[in-house]
Amino acid sequence: MSMVEMKRGDMVLEARGITKRYPGVVANDHIDFEIRAGEIHAILGENGAGKTTLMRILFGLTQPDEGEILIFGEKVNFKSPLDAIHHGIGMVHQNRKLIPAHSVIENIILGHPSAGRITNLKRTGEEITELCTKYGFKIDLKAKLWQLSEGEKQVVEILKALYRGAKILILDEPTSALAPPEVEKLLASIKLMTGSDLALVPFITHKLPIVLSVSDRVTVLRRGKVTARLETKNATEKSLAKEMVGREVIFRLQRVEVKLGKPILQVESLSALDNKELQALKAISFSVHEGEIFGIAGVSGNGQQVLAEVLAGLRNATEGKVSLDGIDISHSSSLERWQKGMGYVPAERIDVGSIGDYSLADNVLMNYYFDDEFTKWGILDSKGIRKLTEALISEYDIAAPGPDTTAKSLSGGNLQKLILARVLSRKPRLIIANLPTQGLDVGATEFVQNKLLEAKKMGAGILLISEDLDEVLSLSDRVAPIYEGEFMDIIPIEKARREDIGAMMAGLKHQAVKI
Amino acid sequence: MKLGNYQVKLEKKLKVTGWEAAAISILAILIALALFSLIFLQAKVNPLTGYKDIFTYAFADQFGLPLTINRAIFILLCTCAFIVPMRAGLWNIGMAGQLYAGALGAFAVAFAFGAASGSQNLSLSPGIVIPLMMVGAALGGALVGAIPGFLKGRFNTNEIVVTMMLNSIGFWLVAFMIKDGGLFMGAGGEGEGFKLPQSLYAPQILGGPFTILLALGLAGFLYFMFARTRTGYQIKAYGLSPSAARYAGISPYNIPLLVFIIGGLLAGLAGYHLFAANPGVYKITQNYGDFGDLSFYGIICGLISLENPLAAIPIALLFGGLASGARYAQGELRMSFGVDYAMLGVLMITLVAFQFFYRNKIVWKKSEKEK
Ligand SMILES: Nc1ncnc2c1ncn2[C@@H]1O[C@H](COP(=O)(O)OP(=O)(O)OP(=O)(O)O)[C@@H](O)[C@H]1O
Ligand SMILES: [Mg+2]
Repeated sequence: MSMVEMKRGDMVLEARGITKRYPGVVANDHIDFEIRAGEIHAILGENGAGKTTLMRILFGLTQPDEGEILIFGEKVNFKSPLDAIHHGIGMVHQNRKLIPAHSVIENIILGHPSAGRITNLKRTGEEITELCTKYGFKIDLKAKLWQLSEGEKQVVEILKALYRGAKILILDEPTSALAPPEVEKLLASIKLMTGSDLALVPFITHKLPIVLSVSDRVTVLRRGKVTARLETKNATEKSLAKEMVGREVIFRLQRVEVKLGKPILQVESLSALDNKELQALKAISFSVHEGEIFGIAGVSGNGQQVLAEVLAGLRNATEGKVSLDGIDISHSSSLERWQKGMGYVPAERIDVGSIGDYSLADNVLMNYYFDDEFTKWGILDSKGIRKLTEALISEYDIAAPGPDTTAKSLSGGNLQKLILARVLSRKPRLIIANLPTQGLDVGATEFVQNKLLEAKKMGAGILLISEDLDEVLSLSDRVAPIYEGEFMDIIPIEKARREDIGAMMAGLKHQAVKI
Repeated sequence: MKLGNYQVKLEKKLKVTGWEAAAISILAILIALALFSLIFLQAKVNPLTGYKDIFTYAFADQFGLPLTINRAIFILLCTCAFIVPMRAGLWNIGMAGQLYAGALGAFAVAFAFGAASGSQNLSLSPGIVIPLMMVGAALGGALVGAIPGFLKGRFNTNEIVVTMMLNSIGFWLVAFMIKDGGLFMGAGGEGEGFKLPQSLYAPQILGGPFTILLALGLAGFLYFMFARTRTGYQIKAYGLSPSAARYAGISPYNIPLLVFIIGGLLAGLAGYHLFAANPGVYKITQNYGDFGDLSFYGIICGLISLENPLAAIPIALLFGGLASGARYAQGELRMSFGVDYAMLGVLMITLVAFQFFYRNKIVWKKSEKEK
């Protein structure tokens, strides 16, 4: 981007009539879109509305079928992200693309257009440090990537884009994997960036409060079309939701009171190691009953992921006992656990929860191939599984042309819906739901939460793992804040106070907060 | 560039339709033949004469055609032996070792029933011994295949290294058995195995070995297995995403073991075909190592056929034809030794290069079209 004299409010990026068709869907349908210098521009829309597609086009990752992009009134034609980078555009993807074994500074330099010529690592370090102080980022440049939290990795992605000279920073759902305090820090830095430097930030998110608190303007997409362009100050949570979904959305969940049955899951002093062989779970004990939602609230990296994997049979415990319906399953394989009525919704929807090259039907089969319902003499009932997939697509309102589409062509939220649909359709006795609503739009979040409540009503026990305190508090019957591999307490929902739980998630001992 | 890579990778995984793949393979073959003309020219042979000789001998000659078919059966079995582990994302380059083991297995059965004595009288009827020899071949191959599969599943040992090492172990094991007083040494003692009595010659159909039905049947069965069965589904899932397969309860120990057992079994049968069913052979020959080398074309046929056992059939036939035709042309036209292998080599390189250009061309083509 040529550094023309810029004033706040000047038109910088304009996209006209952008159209992108995929087999069976028009992902972007004649979209007009503009951003002005110094603004944070939120892009809202239901799952599959076409947000990521539009941003991928602006970043040169895909080419539009029709339409043009102007930067400073000059027509540009991006053949690859490199062209976009030369025009001052940077993108922070939802799925991180960093190298765990390298240090922060190495990751930032990697792939820099002049990486071959960067010889003075000390100078580079100073320049990056300068960027950090300017925008309020705190990060140890020598730390290895695997040592960082999700929020810190996000910062590295942003620094990487900024160091390449990005003035337009595309953020695709940057907050969905971050803990609340990290979100606050990130938003503060973004505000600093748009302040004096007039950088502009198109920002995709499903979290309406964030839109209202940081953005200047909002563009709303629905089914590939722009349905609204507004100034944030004229918007409310309700009005935005209505533009997105096309109808009123009720934000209240109907809590259901279910008489608790006998315990389904019993965990006794369970310990386990993480990938770095560090103690990640420290002798945890708890139980989940029929008709109960047991919520685990915690900042990511405090052992909840390891707990979910141990329970699902994907990681060995070093100590302890797990029983399902009174039967000891500590040494059962994951397949046996599925067959005994456990259902696991993993947090990693792309790497673990789905197979990108498999069709949607084959992805549904992932939780069914071992059942006699869909196999006879080892031969798969392809018709039956297709029918089930079609039913799930329509019940969960998954935006996809049909059961033969590959999973990798689904939008992030729709993939999440597919995984949930598949697991819940087995009617498991125990559901382990790890971040079940990550990346879902408001409507879909509400839908999924209701599905969990429905399962609870039917007598399933649910272990809900979430970083979203509101979600945990509105769904759970009991809440356990987790910190460094230990439950700080197990609190019945009537006694759970938001502030206390927030403090415990941050590691303040329960004695301190309990009277 | 990471982002550049990302794009290439994404497009690489795009589904190639069967017809596109077929068209591109045919084009590649034509270009390979054009390139190989240079070798004819350099030997002062008119390429057209050369190719006419090769193809008439390979596909329209009463001596050449059976030879072609025999080699095609062998290559097809080796291709299937490669494809099955490949579907699980694992490289079986141990077909040579597995087929040696298969040959030893088959001849061990024959030996056990007294076939090495040279007499025609066996302690059991051939109707039982012949199937047992096939079982012996399958078991021998499967056993050798199980080793890399087991090590991969249990200890995540690199299967390429293990299969390669087993190839040389297999080679020397055969030498030990058939040479210098080995148990299976032939009567002549010229570094060959003993010859089967006539009653143990594999049955023939239409003047060719019945193993053609075996190979075609197995290719069809494997196609069905991958398209429609639970086992095929599990293998493919493991190959596409081991972590997702594990989540779905697919055992990361059993799948590598299973695919290598199947692969080894198929290669073992290739060994049976080669030494016990191939008309005019019926013994482990002195030059068995050459056939071990020929088994490597299973890798290339497997890749060209996009891991599809049915598509492998015509490709194996072509490779078999070129192998036998070129060998003949080499003698007929008085060209230097090794023309057949040079020919297969050129074909292989062109086909592989085309796969590469093909897949990257898609990326490039797409961005052109979509503007
Ligand atoms: N490579 C592709 N091939 C086929 N269809 C695609 C591809 N990429 C996206 N789509 C389709 O285009 C539509 C828009 O997808 P996009 O990823 O832009 O949605 P999104 O608004 O980002 O949704 P989410 O909030 O769920 O991330 C979806 O219906 C999706 O299935
Ligand atoms: Mg998206």
